Amino acid sequence: MFVELAVPATLAGEGRAAVQAARPALARRLLAATPPYLYLLPALACLVLWTYKPLVEAVQLSFYDWNLLPTSPMTYVGLDKYRQVFTQAGLRHAAVNTVIYIVCLLPFSVVLPTAVALVTRRLGGRSRDVYRALVFTPILVAPVAAAAVWRWLLDPTGLSNQALGWFGLAPHNWLREESTALPAILAITAWSMCGFAVLVVSAGLTGISADYGEAAAIDGATGWQILRWVTLPLLRSTLLFLVLMTVLLSGQWTFPLLDSLTQGGPAESSTNVYYLLWELGFRNFDSGLASAAGIVFFVVFGLIAAGLVALADRFSFHDN
Amino acid sequence: MARPRLGRAAVGLALLSTLVAACATGGSTSPAPAGASSATAATIPELKPDQKVSITFESYNLANTGTWKPVIEGLLADFAKEHPNITVKAQPPQSTTAGDFVGSIKTQALAGSPPDVAQITFNALDFAATALSAKPLDTLVGKDTVTANFAGTHPFAPAATTLGDLGGHTYTMPYVFSTPVLWINSTLFKAAGLDPANPPKTWEDVKTAALAIKQKAGKDGVYLDCTTKGSGDWCFQSLVRSNGGQVVSTDRRSLTFADGPAVGAVSMAADLYRSGASPNFSQAQAMDAFTKGNLGMMLETSALQGAFIAGAQSGGWELSAAAEPGFGARPAVPTNSGSGLSIFSNDPAKQRAGWELIKYLTSDHAYTEISSKIGYLPLRTSLVDDPAFLKPWADQHPLIKPNLDQLTRLQPWVSFPGNGYQQITDLMMSAAESAIYQGKDPATAMTDARKQATDLLPKT
Repeated sequence: MFVELAVPATLAGEGRAAVQAARPALARRLLAATPPYLYLLPALACLVLWTYKPLVEAVQLSFYDWNLLPTSPMTYVGLDKYRQVFTQAGLRHAAVNTVIYIVCLLPFSVVLPTAVALVTRRLGGRSRDVYRALVFTPILVAPVAAAAVWRWLLDPTGLSNQALGWFGLAPHNWLREESTALPAILAITAWSMCGFAVLVVSAGLTGISADYGEAAAIDGATGWQILRWVTLPLLRSTLLFLVLMTVLLSGQWTFPLLDSLTQGGPAESSTNVYYLLWELGFRNFDSGLASAAGIVFFVVFGLIAAGLVALADRFSFHDN
Repeated sequence: MARPRLGRAAVGLALLSTLVAACATGGSTSPAPAGASSATAATIPELKPDQKVSITFESYNLANTGTWKPVIEGLLADFAKEHPNITVKAQPPQSTTAGDFVGSIKTQALAGSPPDVAQITFNALDFAATALSAKPLDTLVGKDTVTANFAGTHPFAPAATTLGDLGGHTYTMPYVFSTPVLWINSTLFKAAGLDPANPPKTWEDVKTAALAIKQKAGKDGVYLDCTTKGSGDWCFQSLVRSNGGQVVSTDRRSLTFADGPAVGAVSMAADLYRSGASPNFSQAQAMDAFTKGNLGMMLETSALQGAFIAGAQSGGWELSAAAEPGFGARPAVPTNSGSGLSIFSNDPAKQRAGWELIKYLTSDHAYTEISSKIGYLPLRTSLVDDPAFLKPWADQHPLIKPNLDQLTRLQPWVSFPGNGYQQITDLMMSAAESAIYQGKDPATAMTDARKQATDLLPKT
């Protein structure tokens, strides 16, 4: 009995010894591996809480019919909300408008700012600062305040129509006509964003060493040639960044203006997908449709962004 | 080499999965609907003499600082004197967009704390009763008590008493509303050679008068504040009804705003715009133009009466009011705008305090203040014959007459069923707007909208 007991005891002892040798090592390894993740934890927690959790829940909500009220039942409707996304004329129309906003904003967020930055680069120190400050000012005006001012300017009795009157033209109700509501919102957005883009391009230009231009000039290159073959290629990553910003953020730039000036109207002519999503979710409390549409647009914009980032990686030249 | 990496990966994975597990579940349980109708049979107890209660009261009349807010605040101060134990925390809606005053209550309800008493527009009656679980007043305080509040020395107009009813219960106490009133700038009328004492009776007459104002007085003719998404649909429903139709069928199962009468109403408004009789204005632009004396006629709620009187005084023009015009020989069918007062609290003491507030805000004194200073209809109509209340004011301001006459012929502003009621309204009004101002074919636009909106009706 005693002998028989002794044997497992030694075996267990051996086993314990082996485990003891391994265990502290694993625990220590785990312990040693933990700190980096602990450092990451606050950031990760925020990211998960504010980005991934809503995303997961949006996917979940898109399969339900629910008005967000805790007392109301959630009804599983499968892909029905996605069917609505692809069949509702309103959503299609808003998607087309979004593309129009993006395409028409590009000249004002990329081309014009580049031109302004290049021209003001030649100016002397103080006048350049003053000029850039003037161009930058509109973005400092809060969008809703700017909208209030523009509402007066664009009113049938406002300054814009008085100006039309000087040329003998009839007053035009810019924000109430289907043909001009969207261009009006577009113009105000362009006005407010242009300065910001100028600043970004200027920063990009500052990062380009003057040596390249001088070297090219010594080789006999003209100003235009230097611009075309030296400056612009070096500016490529900045410009691609601006394109990416415009594609991804134009909806958000126009949102406060839409909300305070036209509410997407008249007859939905100036709405875009962001405004529509907000209406579906928070005016109509159709969380399923809003989520389904949100997921579809998330995928589409994700693909576009991925494409642009790939382009940026391929074409950017890093001046080290 | 592989082991430490594995260990690190394991820790990372463990941390991530805890985070995801902690977060991904969210608040999406699905308890059964509160079932407002299956409430307890007993009524809520009266407040004890020394019982102190604090309630929140949300009213969109508090959002407008001009003519509305001081009146409501004055009434609440009077209420506080009479009920020192009830503290009322009054608040305007958190945000309002394009005629939606109930969104704010929805937002607070989904956060779990709706206001104890709130003013809900009648288009949200169905939603308030079903989704927001407004408490049926007759269950709370007893049917007799509710009926007693409609009675009194100056009883409610019969047409007004049923506006807050749905499925045999009274979910909201009719509070402030108007019927569509044709406001007239008499000064412009005279300048155009028209007689303001003989206002247009039909839309055909309105068009003629508006074109005369446009040509002879050089100002815009008429604006119907029933023609845009921003205007909401209360007055649009009146146009449709006046033309012999309805926007939703009587059994509330199908939408009828693409039927002949509705399309006819839209075509009439489109014709006013195309002929130049009516300008393409937003609601705000139209109110501004009329207040400044630049618009001849405006079909609008009497809630703006106070603002119009002030505008007429400062702008030096004369204001008068006429009944809503009709289609041809058919008399107009007025609908009501406005709102009722509902109780959302689950606490019996707050419910009782809320009922006291509702009784006060629908009292003789309250309607005297509201009607004379804001312009809403005195639902206790005989107040205008009582020298102690509205008679002195009504004698001076005959503006109230057409509105009071229309109250006797009132048809309710009906709410669309289901969660999508606001979206259905938006679709309908956007379609009307595009047909009236953007030249789309009325029948096609309304039919398309109905097709989309039908998708939003409750599937039963």
